[in-house]
Amino acid sequence: SSGQTAPSRNAILVSHRQKGNPLLKHIRNVRWAFADVICDYMLGQNSCALYLSLRYHLLHPDYLYYRIRELQKNFKLRVVLCHVDVEDVIKPLLEVTKTALLHDCTLLCGWSLEECGRYLETIKVYENKPADLIQGQMDADYLSRLTHALTSVRHVNKTDVVTLGSTFGSLSSTMDASMEDLGRCPGIGERKVRRLYDTFHEPFKRVI
Amino acid sequence: MVQFHEHIISDLLEDPTGGLVVLSGGLGLHKLIASLLHLHHPSQGTLLILSASPSQKSSILSSLQSTLYTQNTDSPEITNLPSEITSDLPAHQRLSLYTSGGVFFVTVRILIVDLLTHRLPTTAIAGIILLNAHSLSDTATEAFIVRILRSSNRNLYVRAFSDRPHAMISGFAKAERTLKCLFLKKLHLWPRFQVYVSQDLERDPPEVVDIRVPMTAYMVGIQKAVTEVMDACLKEMRKTNKVDIEDLTVENGLFKSFDEIVRRQLDPIWHTLGKKTKQLVSDLKTLRKLLDYLVRYDAVTYLKYLDSLRASESFRSVWIFAESSYKIFELAKKRVYYFGRSGSRKLSGHSKNVTSKKRKLDSSNKEKEDSLPSSSSSVILEEVLEEAPKWKVLREVLEEIEEAREKQALSRGELVVGDEQDDNGIILVACKDERSCMQLEYCIANGPQKVMREEWEKYLLSKVELQALPKHNKKKPKDPKGFGILDGVVPTTPGQKAEVSSLSKQEHNALLAAASEISKLSKKDVVVEDNLQTCVGSGGGGKRKGKGKVKGRNRKTSANFQISVDREDRSNTETAVSEKSNILASEIEGQDSGFNLRGDFQENVEGTSMERQVLRKHAQVVGAEPFKNTKRLPPVHFHALESDQHILDILKPSVIIVYHPDMAFVREIEIYKAENPSNKLKVYFLFYEDSTEVQKFEASIRKENGAFESLIRQKSLMMIPVDQDGRCLGQNSSIEPQSVVSKNSITRKAGGRKEAEKEMLVIVDMREFMSSLPNVLHQNGMRIIPVTLEVGDYILSPSMCVERKSIQDLFGSFASGRLYHQVEMMARYYRIPVLLIEFSQDKSFSFQSTSDIGDDVTPNSIISKLSLLVLHFPRLRIVWSRSLHATAEIFASLKANQDEPDEAKAIRVGVPSEEGIVENDVRAENYNTSAVEFLRRLPGVTDSNYRALMDGCKSLAELALLPVERLAELMGGHKAAKTLRDFLDAKYPTLL
Repeated sequence: SSGQTAPSRNAILVSHRQKGNPLLKHIRNVRWAFADVICDYMLGQNSCALYLSLRYHLLHPDYLYYRIRELQKNFKLRVVLCHVDVEDVIKPLLEVTKTALLHDCTLLCGWSLEECGRYLETIKVYENKPADLIQGQMDADYLSRLTHALTSVRHVNKTDVVTLGSTFGSLSSTMDASMEDLGRCPGIGERKVRRLYDTFHEPFKRVI
Repeated sequence: MVQFHEHIISDLLEDPTGGLVVLSGGLGLHKLIASLLHLHHPSQGTLLILSASPSQKSSILSSLQSTLYTQNTDSPEITNLPSEITSDLPAHQRLSLYTSGGVFFVTVRILIVDLLTHRLPTTAIAGIILLNAHSLSDTATEAFIVRILRSSNRNLYVRAFSDRPHAMISGFAKAERTLKCLFLKKLHLWPRFQVYVSQDLERDPPEVVDIRVPMTAYMVGIQKAVTEVMDACLKEMRKTNKVDIEDLTVENGLFKSFDEIVRRQLDPIWHTLGKKTKQLVSDLKTLRKLLDYLVRYDAVTYLKYLDSLRASESFRSVWIFAESSYKIFELAKKRVYYFGRSGSRKLSGHSKNVTSKKRKLDSSNKEKEDSLPSSSSSVILEEVLEEAPKWKVLREVLEEIEEAREKQALSRGELVVGDEQDDNGIILVACKDERSCMQLEYCIANGPQKVMREEWEKYLLSKVELQALPKHNKKKPKDPKGFGILDGVVPTTPGQKAEVSSLSKQEHNALLAAASEISKLSKKDVVVEDNLQTCVGSGGGGKRKGKGKVKGRNRKTSANFQISVDREDRSNTETAVSEKSNILASEIEGQDSGFNLRGDFQENVEGTSMERQVLRKHAQVVGAEPFKNTKRLPPVHFHALESDQHILDILKPSVIIVYHPDMAFVREIEIYKAENPSNKLKVYFLFYEDSTEVQKFEASIRKENGAFESLIRQKSLMMIPVDQDGRCLGQNSSIEPQSVVSKNSITRKAGGRKEAEKEMLVIVDMREFMSSLPNVLHQNGMRIIPVTLEVGDYILSPSMCVERKSIQDLFGSFASGRLYHQVEMMARYYRIPVLLIEFSQDKSFSFQSTSDIGDDVTPNSIISKLSLLVLHFPRLRIVWSRSLHATAEIFASLKANQDEPDEAKAIRVGVPSEEGIVENDVRAENYNTSAVEFLRRLPGVTDSNYRALMDGCKSLAELALLPVERLAELMGGHKAAKTLRDFLDAKYPTLL
C-alpha cells in the first residue's frame, strides 16, 4: 500500500476485487481508482474499508474473518461496511458484529448501495475534518440558544419557547415566574407548568 | 361507597393471585383503591403500590383519610396511611419499611434495584397494586418486578387497574399480553353500561339542564376553516398510503389518541418517511390544538397563540399556507380588531362620529372601538374584542340560580335558616384548565369587557416591547415555502402582494401605535390620575375619587394588572371597583383621543367626556346590575379538570356548571350523586352548539363503549394458559430467579450455548432501568448488578463498556455533543468502548429512506456524523441491534470469551478524583436531572464549571439572580460569567 503516487491521494483506491460491484456507481462525490490494495477500499493513509453483503456472508460465513486477517495491523481505522440486504438480519448480523468487534474493526451498516457509497465518500471527504460538528456547537443566535435550553425540559416545544419569551421578556424572568404566571401562557398546560417550575425551583441536588 | 365498587372488590378478591380490572373513566378508581387499602392488615405483609401518578396518590390518600374519618376507627388504623418509599431514604430504612407490613407507594426504579441487590425480602410482600395497567408492555420494569417477586413468593397477589379502556385495546391483544406479563388469569371489565353500574348511577340521577350556546359567526368560520385544513391534511396523508384509511377521519383527528393511532402505524417506517409526511403528522396535532383552544381561549389570547404559532413554525408547516388557514388568521383577527382604511384624512373626524354612534348602539353589546388615526395616513384600527358567548350564558345561569333561591327563601319565610343545611348553596364551575378558571372568575367579578380590555392591552404591550428592540430577526422575511401541497396557493398575485404587504405593514404600525398609547398611558398615569380627579369629581361622588386613585396606581405598577387586584378586595368591593374601572376606562379613552386629535378634539374634551360620562353611567347601570346580583350569590367555586383532583366530595356542591364538558367528570358527578342521594343536585352543561366540543364529547363516549365491546370480545377469545401460576411455581424450584426464563430461553439456546454455563454478569447503570433492556437481559439468564456508573451504561467485562443509544437518543445526543463526550470517556477508560445503536422492534431497521440520502455529503446527515465519530475514535466499536432481544443475544456472545466485570472497579471509573469521594448512591435520583441538563445547555456553562455552579447555588431560580461577580467566582472566569449573565438578561426579541 506504500507504493501509491501523489495524484491518487485525493481518491479512494479500490481493490480489483471490487470490479463489478454496483456500489462503485454510487461513489460520485469523490474520485476513485483501481489499485493493488489489500483492503477493498483504501480511504486514506490510515483508514480502510472492507465491503460485505449480508447475503454473501450467509453463503460464505468465513469470508469476513479471512479478509480481516489479511489486513494485518496497517490501519488505524478498519471499517467493515455491511450492506444489509436480507430480511432476516438478526443471526447473520450477530455473526458479523462479533467477528468485526473481536478483530478490531468498526462496523458500519448501510441499507442500500447508495448509503454504503455515501459512507465511503464521507469518510474520505471528512478525513481531516475536526469534530466540531458532533461536539454540540450550535447556532449562536439568541433564539436558537434559548430554544436549545428551554426545550431540554420535557414536552416544551418551540412554540412554547416563543410564548414564554414574549410573555416574560427574558430568560431570567422566565426562570423566576410563578406557577400561576406560567399557567397563564396559552398552550402551556398543567403538566408543562409543573415541569418548568420544578426544573427552575427544585434544588440541583436533592438533599437527603 | 357505591354498591358496584363492592361488587368489583368482591369479584377481585375471589382469585388469590389477583386480577386485572378495567373500568370506565371517572368511575372513582381512587375510591376503589382506597377501600382495597382499607381492607389491608399489617399481619398479611407489606402492600406495595406501583406506577401511581402524583395526582392519583393524593386522591387515594384523601379518600382513604375521609373513610377513616367517617368510620371513626381507632387510632392505630390511622397510622396505616400509605407513605412513600423514595431514594431519599437510606437503604436500611427502606428495608425496615419493606418488612413493616404497611402500605407504600414505591417507584419501580427503586423497587427493581432493591430486588436485584437482594435488599428486599420477597416473602415480606403480601401483594402489589398496580395502577395505570394500560401503559404496561411485555418488557416493562413492572413486569420484571412481578416476575422476580412471583418466582420466589407464590402467595403474592397482583391487582392491576386501568381506567383507560381505549388504551387497553391499542395494539395487538394488549389485554391478553398484559395479563400474561403480570401472570394473571382474570380480566374484570366494568364499563359504565354494566348493569350494576348503571343501576347504581341511574337510581337517583341529578337534575340536568343542557344549554346549547350558539357560537359567534367568526368562531363558526374559524372552526369550519380549521376542519377544512384538517381534512385537507388527512387527504394528503391518505395519499401517502402509509396509514389505514379508516383511521383517517376528522372525528378521530379531534382526539389525542389520534397521534397514537398514526404513530403506531407509522413508527415501523418512521425513519423512512419523507419530511412531508412527518410534517403532516405534526400539523394535524397543531390543528387539533387550534380547535380545542378556539372554545377555551378568549379571542385575544387565541390570536396571540396564533401569532406565536406563526412566528415559531412559519415556513416549515404545510398547513399554514393552505387557503383556509389564511381564513383562520383573518377571522381570528376580526374577532379582536378591525383594520381598514378610510378615504381621506378628514375622515378621521368623521370616523370618530361613526364610532361614537356605534358605541351608542352597541354599548349594550359591550363593543368598544377606538379610532387611532396613525400619524402618517388615514387608517383605522377598531377594537372588536369579541367575548366568548359562554361568558354571558354563565352569568345568566348564575342569575337564574340566584333568582330561584331568592324566591325560595321568600316562600319559606322565616322558618328556615337551619333547613337549608342540605343545600349548602355551593356552586361549582368546572373548566378544563386553571387558566380558564382564573379568567372566568375574573370575568364574573369584573365583567367581560374588562377581561377583554386587559387581554387586549397585554397583547398590544407585548407588541410594543418588540419594537423597542433592535431588529435582528432574520427569519422574518422568509418567503412562504410550502411543499406545494394542499394546493396551498397564497391568494396573492405579485401585484397584490406589494399592496398586501404594505397594508399589513400599516396594520402592524397601527397596532404598535395603539400599543404605545397604552404604554404611554400607564407611564403618564399621574396625568391621568389628575384628570381623573377633576372629571370624576364633576361626574360622580367624592367617594369614587379615592378609589379611582387606587385603581390608577394599580395600573401603574404592572402591565399584569389582572394579578394586582387582590382577591379579597375584589369580593368586598367588586361593585365599586368595577364601576371605578369603567369610569377610568372612559377617562383613558378621553385621554387617548386627546393625544391623537389634539387639534379639533381638545376643545371638546370636557364636553365630550361629560357626555360620555353620562353614557357610561347608563351602560353601567345595565352592566352593574348583574354584578350586584353576583355579589349576593353564594361563593362560586372554580375547578380545573386538568388538576386531576376530586373535589366533589370535599365541596359538596348543590349546583354544578360544567363549563367544559368532559366525560370522566360527568361520571364523577354521577358517582357523587349516587353516594349522596339525599343532596339535591342540579347540573348545567354549557355546550357550544354544533361545535367540535360537542362532537368530541359524544365521540369520547362512543369510543369508550367501542373499546369495552372490543375488550369483551377479546376476553371471550383470550388464551390464558391454565398453568399461568403453575409454571411460575415450577420455576420456583430452581431458587435463582434468573433461570425463570419462559419459552424465550428455549430459542436462545440455539446459538450452541450450553444451558448450565456459568452465570453471566452484567453491570448496569441505575439510569438504564428506565429502559427495558435490563429486564430482557435478565430474562435471558444474566445476572444484573445495578450500580451508578459515571462512564458507560453497561459493563460486560473488565475491558468492555457499552453506551446504549436508541435511535431518537442517537440523533439527539449527536446534536448536543453528549455522545462525543461519552465516547471520549469510554475510550479513555476501557480498551473496547462500544456504541450500541438499538433499533426498536416495531420500528424500521434503517436510518432513512434511500430518497432522503441526497446527492451530496451534507454535514447534517446522520451518515456524516457517524463517519466523523468513527474517524475520531477509530477504536470505537459499533453494534447495530435490531431489537432488545437481539441486543441480549449479542451481549451474551460478546461476553463469551471475556472475564466477568468487577463491580467495585466499574463504579470508580471516571468519578472525578479531585473530589476523592466515591459516590455510592443512586446518583440520578439525587439530582434534579432536568435542571442539570438545562444548566449545561446555557451559554458559558461547560463541562468543567457546571459542578461548581451547582455547588454555588441551590436551584436555577437562584442562579438567575446571582450577580456577575459571584458567577465569575463560581465559573472561574469573567468571560464565561458575562456570557451567562448576558444570556439570562437578554431581552427576548419578539418575532410578531
